[in-house]
Amino acid sequence: MAVSVAKQGYELGHGHDEHDHEEVIYQETRDMRLLGFVLFLCSDVVLFSSFIFAYIYLRTTVAPTWPPIMDGHQLPRLDTAFAAVNSVVLFGSGVTMHYAMEGWKHGNKGRFNLFMLFTIILGSGFLGGQAYEYAHAQIGGWSGSIFGASFFTLTGMHGFHVFVGVVYLAVLWWQTSRTNLYDTHRYFGLTAGTLYWHFVDVIWVALFFLFYLW
Amino acid sequence: MATLAPGVKTGPYHAVLDHIHPEPTSFIRKYIFSIDHKIIGIQYMITAGLFFIIAGLLAEIIRTQLLSPTGAVVSAATFNQIYSMHGTTMVWFVVIPLLTGAFGNFVMPLQIGARDVAFPWLNLVSYWIFPVAGVLLFSSFLIGAPDAGWTEYPPISLQGPPGTSMWCIAVFLVGISSTLTGINFTVTILKMRAPGMTFTRMPLFVWAQFATSPMLLIATTALNGALAALFLERQFGIPFYNPAHGGSPVLWQHMFWFYSHPAVYIMILPAFGFISEILSTFSRKPVFGYKMIAFSTVAIALLSFAVWAHHMFTSGMVPWLQLPFMIITMFIAIPTGIKIFSWMATLWGGSIRWTTAMLFATGFLITFTFGGLTGFFLAAVPADYHEHGSYFVVAHLHYVLFGGSMMGLFAAIYYWFPKMCGRMMSEKLGLWHFWLVFIGFNGTFIPLHWLGLLGMPRRVAIYDPQYQFWNVVASSFSYIMTFAILLMFINILVSLRSGKKSGPNPWGARTLEWMISSPPPYYNFKKIPAVLATPYDFGNPLPYIGLDAAPGATEATPTHTSHPVPTY
Amino acid sequence: MEGLAVIEKVIALAGAVVVAVFALISLKGEWPKTGLDDQVTKLLLGLMAFGCVLVLLAATGVLPRGGA
Repeated sequence: MAVSVAKQGYELGHGHDEHDHEEVIYQETRDMRLLGFVLFLCSDVVLFSSFIFAYIYLRTTVAPTWPPIMDGHQLPRLDTAFAAVNSVVLFGSGVTMHYAMEGWKHGNKGRFNLFMLFTIILGSGFLGGQAYEYAHAQIGGWSGSIFGASFFTLTGMHGFHVFVGVVYLAVLWWQTSRTNLYDTHRYFGLTAGTLYWHFVDVIWVALFFLFYLW
Repeated sequence: MATLAPGVKTGPYHAVLDHIHPEPTSFIRKYIFSIDHKIIGIQYMITAGLFFIIAGLLAEIIRTQLLSPTGAVVSAATFNQIYSMHGTTMVWFVVIPLLTGAFGNFVMPLQIGARDVAFPWLNLVSYWIFPVAGVLLFSSFLIGAPDAGWTEYPPISLQGPPGTSMWCIAVFLVGISSTLTGINFTVTILKMRAPGMTFTRMPLFVWAQFATSPMLLIATTALNGALAALFLERQFGIPFYNPAHGGSPVLWQHMFWFYSHPAVYIMILPAFGFISEILSTFSRKPVFGYKMIAFSTVAIALLSFAVWAHHMFTSGMVPWLQLPFMIITMFIAIPTGIKIFSWMATLWGGSIRWTTAMLFATGFLITFTFGGLTGFFLAAVPADYHEHGSYFVVAHLHYVLFGGSMMGLFAAIYYWFPKMCGRMMSEKLGLWHFWLVFIGFNGTFIPLHWLGLLGMPRRVAIYDPQYQFWNVVASSFSYIMTFAILLMFINILVSLRSGKKSGPNPWGARTLEWMISSPPPYYNFKKIPAVLATPYDFGNPLPYIGLDAAPGATEATPTHTSHPVPTY
Repeated sequence: MEGLAVIEKVIALAGAVVVAVFALISLKGEWPKTGLDDQVTKLLLGLMAFGCVLVLLAATGVLPRGGA
């Protein structure tokens, strides 16, 4: 009740108590922070898009062949099978994060902890797979060709986002166990963390298609 | 209590805004690391004002150099650095921060009846990134400033002096600052308007900010991608732009203009907002076509993302794309024309007061329209082949950026200075300022059109002697313009100390910021008012209820109290 | 190497099916909710399920054309 009144922005009815008032302040603050966070994600999408545009442009209008020719011979394609496994690991972490969040919303702390653990393990696993891939990619290094430039810059940016996400989730997890910042009713930090993690997964959908399947 | 519009109850609040924080007492928290949007707005204004002085002096070096065809003042290498830094500073460190950071911060929350922006701490961060970036930019002079123009096209920028990399970082940082401001303002306008202030009751300056803020956060981030790639290529040899390593310089042009064309509208839409407010106030008439002006603002913002390649007709881009870009570019003339005609209709039959702000606003109508028309020439592919890279482009962009954005900013400074400082600026000095700027500006930039059509290329330190006459004319008038701007700074400094006390509402305006004392108290509104209609209905009672107005704020200026609302 | 690639493809195939199923179940659970965060979650879960489809295409060799 209090929430819907506040959303219209009108005065609370007569006789509201302190608790109601505080609740309204919380909801409005949360709405603003959520919108701000989603806008931040939008601007991050644009940052990735600008590099994706660069990659598509270089590949379609500049490079005579793809993969491009470097030092007289054509570079190999990337290892799709390995990347497919790694993608499943990352997408899986997105699903476990969703289940962790659902667990939290329903007050199931044990389930939250379990799925949070899964998420962080899978996220770290993805980073490990990425490191393995970097070590074995035969595309001439970061500065070797436009292939390497696009691939390592984009996946590097994405990997950095995943790394930040893992740290972010770890901090959130620590907060839930050591502080009382969040309860089953107020958990904006967790919502933001979940959205960020899903966002990182979805960026990978685009990168996976563009680098491995195209 | 007045009869209320349906749906609005009495004495309304945003609960989150109901909370009045105590004002900080320490000097540092109050004036240096303040989270108050008004202080931050003024901080932006002072910082951008300093950058404006520097960039203006750089411009005068350029004009002095061009007095003679052999370029007596600086070497060609220095000249390249100077015009590059002039453009960079004016675009990213003067015009955008003044329009969004300074006036957006100061005026917009007041106009929507809020106590602050949505994220005051983020606002503090936005501001403080900006001077840091500016210092970084100017320190690049120590190691060789960027010399490829403000657009920094590769491959020249790849070979540029070390300062070019610092340029990348500085513009990247100021881009982050803009992005954060964009997020902050979008949330503020969407979530923190006073109750009853529906979208169709927002002041038009708020509409302008509402269209600009998402552009800031989308377009600027795209530029940051391009800058990061340029930085990587310069510092680590990662091939994106260098054709010798398989990259493409045209890629930079695409990425750069995808940002920079929307940025052109970031630099003009808030000025459109100023003009709407000022013309209405000083004609004492409702803005003609309020909804159409609001709609055309949004239309311009959307269209601006689909026209970037008109900067690139001669770049070797695919020919079949040129025609659609030309046509979409020309479409922008439609919403812009709607605005121009609406403003002219606002003036029609009004009881006009020729204050300095009003002079600048009408001057804007003339110079901006002129700049818009030359834009039409440049958008036409065949004409552009002739004009591209010539002084015609320089003339056009100065007509829209100086004749548009800066004229709008001058108007806004005279209009809102009393609100910011509680004192009036001298109208006498203002009159001199306006006429000298108007004459100096047109005298400087009209000849540049002719020079461009005659074939004088832009960005040259020496030129063919046949162009000298008009160059001397342009340079001479530019000194008048610089002198006039000096007058404005003198006017500001003198008025700060000894200007006449303004009272809350010296212009008899009706938007919310004029309903509170000047300068506004820390919390802005003791009670958040409810809004019943657009603010522009001169002749009707003020559309606010629950307003704790400052004494005298709600009285219209004495000589114009009973002007009837005209019927059309 | 060839044997390893087959094992990888089988793991990817099985994993993608499992993840896609759970993503779609989650999406179904989210569907009635209307908050901004829920709407964004719906979009992102849907795209994640699409990502699983891409993995399926990769594992079955439909994409990339020409093989890898």
